[in-house]
Amino acid sequence: MIVCVAIVGHQNNPLYIQSFTEGDDALKLHHVVHCSLDVVDERVNNPKKSGPMLNETYLGLLYPTENYKVYGYLTNTKVKFILVTTDLDIKDADVRNFFRKFHAAYVDAVSNPFHVPGKKITSKTFAERISTIVKAFGLSSAG
Amino acid sequence: MEEYPDELRNPPVALISLVGCPEHHPAISSYLHSQQHPINVLALPDFSKVPVVLAKKVKDSGSEDPPGGILKRDWLLKHRTKIPALVAVLFSSLDVSGGPTQWLQVCSDLENLKAAIRPRNVKLVVVVVLQSSSAELHADGNNEDRMIALKKRAEVDSKYLLMYTPNDVSELKQSLDRLGNVFSELASAHYREEGRRIRTKVEKRGYNFPELHMRYCFKVAIYAEFRRDWNEALKFYEEAYRILRQMVGTKTRLPPIQRIVEINSVAEQLQFKISTLLLHGGKVLDAVQWFCQHNVAYRRLVRVTEAPYLHWEWMSRQFLVFAELLETSSATMQSISSFVVGGTDGTLTEWEFRPAYYYQLAATYLKKKQSSLEISLSMTDNSSEVDSSIDSVVPSTYVGQFARLLEQGDELSMQPLSDEQYVQYTLAEGKRFQDSYEIIALLKRAYESYSSLKAQRMGSTCGLEIAKEYFFLNNYVNTKQVCDDIITLYRQEGWVALIWEVLGYLRECSRKLGAVKSFIEYSLEMAALPVLPDTSITFLGFMESGPAGLPSLQQREHIQKEVMELFGKDSRDGLSAEKSTDLRLTEENPLNLEIDLVSPLRTVMLASVAFHEQMIKPSVSTLITLSLLSQLPLSIQIDKIDLQFNQPQCNFSIINKERYTSTTMISSVQKSQRMEKASSLVLTTNRWLRLTFEIKSEQSGKLECVSIIVKLGPHFSIICRAESPASMDDLPLWKFEDRVETFPTKDPTLALTGQKATQIEEPEPHVDLALVATGPALVGESFIVPVTISAKGHDVYSGELKINLVDVRGDGLFSPRETEASFLDGHHVELLGIAGAEQEGKSQGSYSNINRIQQSFGLVSIPNIKNGETWSCELEIKWHQPKPIMLFVSLGYSSQEKDSTSQKINIHKSLQIEGKIAVTINHRIMLPFRRDPLLLSMVKPFNDADQLVSLPLGESNVLIVSASNCTEIPIWVESLSIETDFISASSSCCIKPGSGPESTGSTLLVAEEEYKKVFTVKPEVDSAPLSLGIVCLRWRRDPGHHEPSTIVTTKHRLPHVNVEVPTLIVSSECPPYAVLGDPLTYFVKIQNQTPLLQELKVLLSDSQSFLMSGTHSGTVFVLPKSDHVLSYKVIPLSSGTQQLPKYSLTSSRYSAGFQPSSAASTIFVFPSKPLFKGANDRGKNLESVATI
Repeated sequence: MIVCVAIVGHQNNPLYIQSFTEGDDALKLHHVVHCSLDVVDERVNNPKKSGPMLNETYLGLLYPTENYKVYGYLTNTKVKFILVTTDLDIKDADVRNFFRKFHAAYVDAVSNPFHVPGKKITSKTFAERISTIVKAFGLSSAG
Repeated sequence: MEEYPDELRNPPVALISLVGCPEHHPAISSYLHSQQHPINVLALPDFSKVPVVLAKKVKDSGSEDPPGGILKRDWLLKHRTKIPALVAVLFSSLDVSGGPTQWLQVCSDLENLKAAIRPRNVKLVVVVVLQSSSAELHADGNNEDRMIALKKRAEVDSKYLLMYTPNDVSELKQSLDRLGNVFSELASAHYREEGRRIRTKVEKRGYNFPELHMRYCFKVAIYAEFRRDWNEALKFYEEAYRILRQMVGTKTRLPPIQRIVEINSVAEQLQFKISTLLLHGGKVLDAVQWFCQHNVAYRRLVRVTEAPYLHWEWMSRQFLVFAELLETSSATMQSISSFVVGGTDGTLTEWEFRPAYYYQLAATYLKKKQSSLEISLSMTDNSSEVDSSIDSVVPSTYVGQFARLLEQGDELSMQPLSDEQYVQYTLAEGKRFQDSYEIIALLKRAYESYSSLKAQRMGSTCGLEIAKEYFFLNNYVNTKQVCDDIITLYRQEGWVALIWEVLGYLRECSRKLGAVKSFIEYSLEMAALPVLPDTSITFLGFMESGPAGLPSLQQREHIQKEVMELFGKDSRDGLSAEKSTDLRLTEENPLNLEIDLVSPLRTVMLASVAFHEQMIKPSVSTLITLSLLSQLPLSIQIDKIDLQFNQPQCNFSIINKERYTSTTMISSVQKSQRMEKASSLVLTTNRWLRLTFEIKSEQSGKLECVSIIVKLGPHFSIICRAESPASMDDLPLWKFEDRVETFPTKDPTLALTGQKATQIEEPEPHVDLALVATGPALVGESFIVPVTISAKGHDVYSGELKINLVDVRGDGLFSPRETEASFLDGHHVELLGIAGAEQEGKSQGSYSNINRIQQSFGLVSIPNIKNGETWSCELEIKWHQPKPIMLFVSLGYSSQEKDSTSQKINIHKSLQIEGKIAVTINHRIMLPFRRDPLLLSMVKPFNDADQLVSLPLGESNVLIVSASNCTEIPIWVESLSIETDFISASSSCCIKPGSGPESTGSTLLVAEEEYKKVFTVKPEVDSAPLSLGIVCLRWRRDPGHHEPSTIVTTKHRLPHVNVEVPTLIVSSECPPYAVLGDPLTYFVKIQNQTPLLQELKVLLSDSQSFLMSGTHSGTVFVLPKSDHVLSYKVIPLSSGTQQLPKYSLTSSRYSAGFQPSSAASTIFVFPSKPLFKGANDRGKNLESVATI
């Protein structure tokens, strides 16, 4: 189950962060997302020299915490997408697919002429769309 | 890792035992220790100890009974320290070869030993210690028999019967080597056999219980480790681990909690062994993967519902131990990234190779243990009972088991515990330890490790956890320190929720520590955080947000109210007594909060100041707009605003009409200042409070608003740095929010261009500064530029005149290259001095201030000038080179006499002046008329272009010096003379002015006119080169209507000349004029100056105007040092200027020809005999005609 998704701007500032838990760990998820930026930085600064990872937007599993797994995605404008999930075994393809949809939604949201680049995304439509994507991900990975 | 026993932490080392001859034990022991694969030695001095050591317990129970536990606690220790792999028995050679009694003793000792070691399968080595030299041994045949007998008795292979020679140094080394080899070979054989024995048991399934299976596997692995077969050890450890996993569900006689504790303990040991082996084998990736599996397998195993803290403690220990293992091995490890790249299929990440990650998780689990232990402790009510029942609990013989030690008389017996007792025991143990310090220590290690990896964010998270622990321990100073460190990063990256959490701790710590200032700072920052009502959905789940509470608008408002109450509070106020906090602001202890451009409190109060005009005249008022913005959720009532400028006389205050007058007295100091009143000063959220006032300044220069002091309540004020709207940074944190942004000023252009500073112009000067230059300046003269200052409007006090000479072309007046090339000593143009019209003592003194080094700069002070008066001075400038320059003159003065601080008024003037060369001097050297010497240097001219002119020795040469005026300005030539170089010229050369009429007084030269003067030069010494001297032209500018100007001397150095002795001199003589039809004689005189005979060819050409008699051609010989004269008689046939018949001479010796110039052979023929007035005048005039 996806517990949190986040968009982080290129100054490492949160643009959008949404948790999907009933519990009380929203603040913890903030920490998890924030810490994952260290891994993104490391991956970006020391890119893997070999093979298909070059020029890849999908960063893969960033790090496992005690209860979560964190995945990352980096757009060409240095905007980071972070996904926090509780699923232990999760297919890479599913995550990639999720990020692709997430990215598309983000592009649509920032294409809004009333959106000021670099500011937080407050669009309700975007939030709804994200929660739909998250739900769909839960169904596909469960099934 | 430290809590593990030694035998577990270090790889096992083979153990052997030495018996007999105790004096040799230390040498052998230390040798075996120092080997590459060391061997431990159990030295037994005499034979009686051997059976005790090797005694084997007789199993009292049949194999049907289930074992008491999985692993015996002391089994490993026993094999490492007590049971040797082999026994080496040392006999002295004297005993062996001695008498029958000694031999019998040897035999009986050997028999006893054999009996003792047999049940343990311990190997035997017999060592004979040679007391004397080896030669002796071999010589004695008896000995050999004894040796064979000994070997038979001992039932050992001959290679295990060794000699040891301690007395011979060279032999000692060899025999020690021999011993070492045999010992290690046999020990390894022993462990192999033991291992194989147990392995057969495993393979034949010779066990009834999984415990035994596991135990056997463990033993095989340990034996493999003894002989350093790491792969087999690893294989059997893993097998043991696998079997243990299967045992989780099975039941034993142990109660369930203790059962799981036992399994966990054994698993921990196995895991430790496996990880150590993998890491030391360099298989970091495998180790990490193994640990992951271990972690996953056991994490969910929280079966102990009664004592969950046991599980968390165990988990924490797993992570801690693995972290330590990783850290110790990472020193020798290659770079981590290579592992990540090398082997992962995407399941492992970089951090899982870092110890920091494991330290952090160890701390997390320990934290869980702490909290669940607290819950458990709170549930047990009767603490005294707990203490009494568990005081005798000790670890039992099996790993992970505990039992009560009961004393029954002299005997001690172990009594198994019930689960309840065990839980009580663990609770009591848990109470004894302060987990928080342990957690902080772990987190600090993680923090340091992350910091070294430059993972700031991970480090910050650890830091926050540390802070929480300190907070939990009521250590507020440390909490505050740690929080202050980490909040910077969060602020920088704008993680509002995290800032909120940290600020909550900081605020609470400040409150607890009684630090009013920081409490207010943190509270205000929290209240101004961008936690908006519509984003609060995100934060719905916050429970662990610490003392900050839930980030919400309500909470922000609450915090603000709390702080505002503090502002309004007075020490006399009764309200403060109610609250337990001792935070208060008093008259003695007022608080000024400074907000600068980088302060996080800019969100609380942002002050923008804009002048409406960028440039204003002094004493003319302009408008200034002050705008204040706050993001605090509740609106604030401001009592008073002070604006402070860099010119203190412009400072003014704005007071709130409603509040200020009623509450506070205006102090006397403030009364002198300007006060403005505003009807209401209320600052609402995210709305600019704009105030516009008039402002004027008398003082010219920059007027800048420095700070804004906003007074809230009697003892609290905020000092904001003023910011220009044009260059204002975005608000931190709020810049990421989607909020309404408005301009600080109503006028949008002002919001984009407004500055907090304005420029006050200088007051208008009422003074005329006039510079007059009469035409171009002439090089060499002191050019006078009059400067006139006339006061027209006000008086001039303490004026200063600055004079600057600047090259028009901009390359400077003193370009070093040019300076070197032309003038080594000075400038091209220099300011010589300033001459005042009416010189006072003061101004006189200042002339000397003109520094000769700064020849292009002058500074002179001006006497006071009353309104309407005029003062003037003259600048004296001298040009050394023709160069146009720009003369800048600036006058700075003040219009008031006494006020020295008042603004200086400046006035600037400039004038371009051309510098020109006044006169050019040329010269020409000629020989006397109709007299031509033959100089050899002329015959063979050198190629050299600047060859010196040659002058004949002893001849009177004519030097014509001409000076021409090359400007438009008429000049007066005073005199022209030649100054000879004193030493050289006086004796070697005679220069005299020509015999022409001496001009008296000065001559006026207009533009392009020439002045000429003739000199005769007669070289007297044959010296080359000869200096002719310097032409000195003294002249002055035509003064016109002005007073006469000074005389300037222009010097021109004449070039050097060669003086040469002429070989032949040809001179022609004829009368000065001829009369038509009158015959005249024409002589050509050839002087031979050489001591040689000269042969000359003479050729004469006819002329139409003359009838001539004499030879036309021929050869003449001129004797040495004598003359030869050719004479021709000619009769002029036509009148006017006529050419005499031309002759030419050719010297055959020098192959040089000579032909007189046409001027020299011209003569004027009068038609009839002329009549001249006065006989005296005649000769004179004609001569002058001829010479010019």
